[in-house]
Amino acid sequence: MTSSKEKIIQLNNVHKSYYLSNGEEIPVLKGISVDILSHEFVAIMGESGGGKSTLMNIIGCLHPLSSGKYFLEGEDIGHVQDDFTLSFIRNRKVGFIFQQFNLLTKISALKNVALPGFYAGMSTEARETKAAELLTSVGLGDRMEHKPTELSGGQQQRVSIARSLMNDPEIILADEPTGALDSVSGKEIMDIFVNFKKKGKTVIMVTHDAHVAQYADRIIFMKDGKIADHNYKIK
Amino acid sequence: MIRFEMLTMAWSALVSNKVRTLLSMLGIIIGVSTVISVIGIGVGAKKQIEEQYKNLSVTSILVFPARGTVTSRLAIDDLPHVLTNAQFVEDGTASISGNITISVGKESEGASLIGVTSNFFDLSNLDIAYGELLTKEQNSSRAKVVILGYTLAETLFGTPEMAVGEMVSIGSRKFDIIGILAENGSSSFGISYDDSLYTPFSTAEKSVLGDKAQIRIVFLGRDVETLAFAEEEITALLREKHKIREGKEDDFRVRDPGSMVASAKESTNTMSFLLTAVATIVLIVSGIGIMNVMFVTVAERTKEIGVLKAIGAKQKDILEQFLLESVILSLIGGMIGIILGQITIPLLKEYGAEYSLSAVFLGFVFSVLVGVFFGFYPALKASKLDPVDALRSE
Repeated sequence: MTSSKEKIIQLNNVHKSYYLSNGEEIPVLKGISVDILSHEFVAIMGESGGGKSTLMNIIGCLHPLSSGKYFLEGEDIGHVQDDFTLSFIRNRKVGFIFQQFNLLTKISALKNVALPGFYAGMSTEARETKAAELLTSVGLGDRMEHKPTELSGGQQQRVSIARSLMNDPEIILADEPTGALDSVSGKEIMDIFVNFKKKGKTVIMVTHDAHVAQYADRIIFMKDGKIADHNYKIK
Repeated sequence: MIRFEMLTMAWSALVSNKVRTLLSMLGIIIGVSTVISVIGIGVGAKKQIEEQYKNLSVTSILVFPARGTVTSRLAIDDLPHVLTNAQFVEDGTASISGNITISVGKESEGASLIGVTSNFFDLSNLDIAYGELLTKEQNSSRAKVVILGYTLAETLFGTPEMAVGEMVSIGSRKFDIIGILAENGSSSFGISYDDSLYTPFSTAEKSVLGDKAQIRIVFLGRDVETLAFAEEEITALLREKHKIREGKEDDFRVRDPGSMVASAKESTNTMSFLLTAVATIVLIVSGIGIMNVMFVTVAERTKEIGVLKAIGAKQKDILEQFLLESVILSLIGGMIGIILGQITIPLLKEYGAEYSLSAVFLGFVFSVLVGVFFGFYPALKASKLDPVDALRSE
């Protein structure tokens, strides 16, 4: 277990560029250095195209870095290419929550939540028990057999939160989790997030909504591929 | 190891798009059912040929009286003449046949009587079921003994076994039943072995049939390679013996069933090969169809693949899932094809089609192979998708 003072994520001078088909380089992250502590709730704000989502994808091991270093729990993983390791990190170390929920529409809420457990090699019984507990904890104990299309936006986002917790990851990555929700549902989601902190999770959330960002312990403000402010205060 | 969840996921994906699934199966359904009926026809044709020539060795040469000739001099003494003078002929047997009426008590039955030399049964691959075979002595003494074909014995006595030791009447003469042939099931050149009765050659020729008799002589060549020489020898020797002048037609016919069997088998094989080639092409085309559909499926579900990767699916997991989908697709198509093939077999009865277990097995294996082979590339592409790109797609 990492203590609350430990740096769970450390990025040193991280650069990330995309390349167009004609070979032209589009730099997105231009030297990001940031530390995130264990059990911290961090919001990332900033202008569109400023690199917020790319930063999230790098932290979540969906993207390799172009240059720089990325330490996750002290381990340098920024340039790991091996699919087995990367999928292991995505499966056990981080839990993703997306703006558009990204649930599989053809299977029930329960099966959606259980899915990361399947990739972790849990037995059907064990993961469905766990998934049922998680759904109950986000207030959907009576909606387990519903398919995502039969649920409201807020409910779907709660299903996807439950899914992100399936393998007890240390880190929760949420990309605009309230972006597709009304303010009431959004508040419910943020209450759950605040609760994460008590359960010892580290939460990193991208948002453009200042109201939502205020739930976080700290706000990082990004601008033009760089961190403009490590501890941004909303006026 | 295939995991059950993978199966259910693949299954639900296929079910959710029934029309497409069915259309993409169509090729493999047609392919596999073609394979089944093709093999059925091939197996049936082979069996028919084997059935027809079952009682003949490959080296058999048959001699009949010529058709339409008023007097053919083909006779029993042609047999020793050829056997003593021919180099390439090893053995031979003569038979004489005609239709008679046989009676047991008050029951009468029409049957063909075959007068045979004692080695006839051996050379015709006929076995005795009960009692004994005919002897040379019975032939020279024109003994009034008879061997019954299996079906005939059954018709006359109910249980063939009971017939041995009983008597039958042919015309006014009484004959002892000394043996019953084992059931044979086949017939050769108009003679059904199971429906006939057999007496010594001399008995049939002199005492029963007289002028109504049809003689035929079967020679056995030394080996397959020299069969043509044996045929020439037989023809020459018989012409000499029958005193046929040069330029005059033979008063007998020579047939070589061995080569007939070979050519019949060859043409069956050629046909099977051609039909199999057609079926293979159909299967390949159906495989390409499956590949196409899998590409569409992967493209449609790119976002889903991105999500699965984000929550920890390995490339191997994605590969397995899509491969499983294409295999299930082709396997179900294959199963339908097998069923359809089995339904088609009776409709192809007139071409001699028969059920074949190996055809079912082959259809099964083919459909799995098509699924794996043509599903692999789309599945590999799916597994290699970049998770961020995949998540971004709509």
